[in-house]
Amino acid sequence: MEAFYAGLSAIAQPSVLVAIAIGSLGGLAIGAIPGIGPAIAIAILLPATVFLDDLVSLVLLLGVYGSSMYGGAIPAILINTPGTPVNALTTYDGYAMTRRGEAARALSLAYSASFVGGCFSIILALVSLMVFGPYLRDLGALFGQRDILMAAVLGAVLLIAAHRNTMGIATLLFAVGFLIAMVGRQSMRSIDRYTFGVDYLYSGFNLIVVIVGIFALSQALFLLTGKDDDPPEARLKGNLLRGFAELWRVRVVAIISASYGTVMGIIPGVGEFVAQFFSYSTARAMSKEPARFGHGSPEGLVASEAANNAVPAAAMIPLLALGVPGEALTAMMMVVFFDAGIKPGPDIFENNSDFLFSLFIALLIINVLVMVALLFSTRFIAKMVYIPNRLLGCFILLLSFVGVFSIRNSFADCMFAAGFGYLGYILRRLDWPLVPIVLGLVLGSIIIDKLAAGSGQIKTAVDLVNRPVSGTLFVVILIVIAVTLVTSVRRRSTHQP
Amino acid sequence: MSPRPVTSRFRSETPPDRKFKVDDLMAFRRGRGDLVFSGVMACVALFFLASFWSFSGWEDRKLPDGVGTYLLQQVGIVEVEGRLTRFGRILRQGWVAPALCLVILVPAAALNLRQSWVTHRWRKRFKQPVEIRYEAEQWLRALEFVAWFIAYTLAVPVLGYLFATVLFGTALPYRMGYRTGRWMVICILTSLVIVLLFRTGLQIKTPVNIWLYDFLPPGPRGFMLTWF
Repeated sequence: MEAFYAGLSAIAQPSVLVAIAIGSLGGLAIGAIPGIGPAIAIAILLPATVFLDDLVSLVLLLGVYGSSMYGGAIPAILINTPGTPVNALTTYDGYAMTRRGEAARALSLAYSASFVGGCFSIILALVSLMVFGPYLRDLGALFGQRDILMAAVLGAVLLIAAHRNTMGIATLLFAVGFLIAMVGRQSMRSIDRYTFGVDYLYSGFNLIVVIVGIFALSQALFLLTGKDDDPPEARLKGNLLRGFAELWRVRVVAIISASYGTVMGIIPGVGEFVAQFFSYSTARAMSKEPARFGHGSPEGLVASEAANNAVPAAAMIPLLALGVPGEALTAMMMVVFFDAGIKPGPDIFENNSDFLFSLFIALLIINVLVMVALLFSTRFIAKMVYIPNRLLGCFILLLSFVGVFSIRNSFADCMFAAGFGYLGYILRRLDWPLVPIVLGLVLGSIIIDKLAAGSGQIKTAVDLVNRPVSGTLFVVILIVIAVTLVTSVRRRSTHQP
Repeated sequence: MSPRPVTSRFRSETPPDRKFKVDDLMAFRRGRGDLVFSGVMACVALFFLASFWSFSGWEDRKLPDGVGTYLLQQVGIVEVEGRLTRFGRILRQGWVAPALCLVILVPAAALNLRQSWVTHRWRKRFKQPVEIRYEAEQWLRALEFVAWFIAYTLAVPVLGYLFATVLFGTALPYRMGYRTGRWMVICILTSLVIVLLFRTGLQIKTPVNIWLYDFLPPGPRGFMLTWF
């Protein structure tokens, strides 16, 4: 409990509370504007966090991460365009309700489901920390370099397996990210990997340059070459608090969906899409009116929103416990951890447990704050939905510069970011996933580090997997690969190219 | 009387299947341009494979004699007598990580190219559009905005962050068609907010050797350099 109170008092600092408020309200607005999304906002904000206090930086980014999905439901419901990619399923039932004249009911249900989903996973994480915290302190001793190496490999395998229909592409892009990670001079042995005599490449690619290029700049190019939407304006009538009462009637769906979100969030590489997929399918299977799913079913809306909002808190767990990010946003947050001198991984339970409590308490406050803000400002936020896409593209382009240049005042960084932005643009045009590149870069760096750091204890190849944790993880990797291969071969026989 | 055209005789009146599938969430279809880009990725993979021998530390490798036997011994398939090189000493060498990466990259690029080719042939067979002209035009169009980004990057050290941002924050929207007075005011205000937020508020580092500020008297020059 000491750590809990220490975490609570850290959160009570005015600067942290202001960061929570700015992050939450900013994230809400960012989520509500189709075309931005939390990944782009966090990519642009990352360099700014270097100048801020550690906890302030993290809660600011957490605010954006945790609240953007609430905001993303607004355009999904009002104009059939998801504000963030994870609100895609919300459009199916949310927009159908809007067309029936039930926009306020749909928004109210989405908010309440999001709130339940978000709080469910946070409270679960906080209770787990309190109950198991003392035991988790010994976790650091169980995890050696080889175990973290295996965890990173497992993260990579799960990431690829989660891209059901684009597994080949995800593998290729993961390898590209891995390749980017190893460019530069290996400090231990002065070996230059793929530097081709270019001075800039000796220090390797900065993670932020790649992230801003791939996510922010590419989105700017995508919006600028696209067209402005002209969605019809939806009218909001009714009480936005009504959703909580209605949610009670579908509470089982909400709890099951939140559980899916929590479990899927914990598994590295899986995340919101798979959580929604499972929760929506389960809700439909359980429903007395499955035919209404996709045509304005309140249960479908609740399943989608409760699942995706349960993910952010859960996704922090593999990052904090293993030092292995499960998706792009937590990979970006890793940068802040490194800047703060906090090493995510099993040792964090021993050395920084109060910091862990601070993060989860901050997430809880973010959920409450966002919920209150939405009840009073939905009509105002809903107007942001109509900001023209190409105008957004102009300003994302300008903001990308700040993101890149401020890292080390390098114009070469800006040029390489432009290159990565162009690559990301082509990937977006082809509908290829972007996340594998960033996770390839982050997990690739971990794999490279741990291969070298753990080599002292490796006499034979079997030593890589003969520890209890690394052995277990290796077996899980083999199972995931086997299951993925079997299911993809089965699907291939019935699938057109 | 001429017979009815084949298309009208076989026209189906059945409405399209509107049944919603959750799988749609993860649906993916290779489009036009996929084959070209997959080809480029395969060439990139081959380029890095070819560069492996000279840009990965392979030249300084330290491998035991009889690598095949050594590897079999590592996984316990054969027994070798005498002192053996520790496996960790090999893993520590610089070329191992690039080799691991290429083991994933090259086959993945080849398989992806094959899959893309299969899809291309499928599209041709079923008379779906395969020309990449439109897609190539879109790729080229984006280069204009890459040029805007680079121009903005080059303008900041000359004009300063404030003036460059206001200039590009209005010129680019103007180029995109937001030309009325209302839009221009919105763009100027947004540009100012960006500068105030990032440069003045968060004190983000931006270029300091600004040519335009040198024309200012020392007091305002110092103020502009500090806050804008």
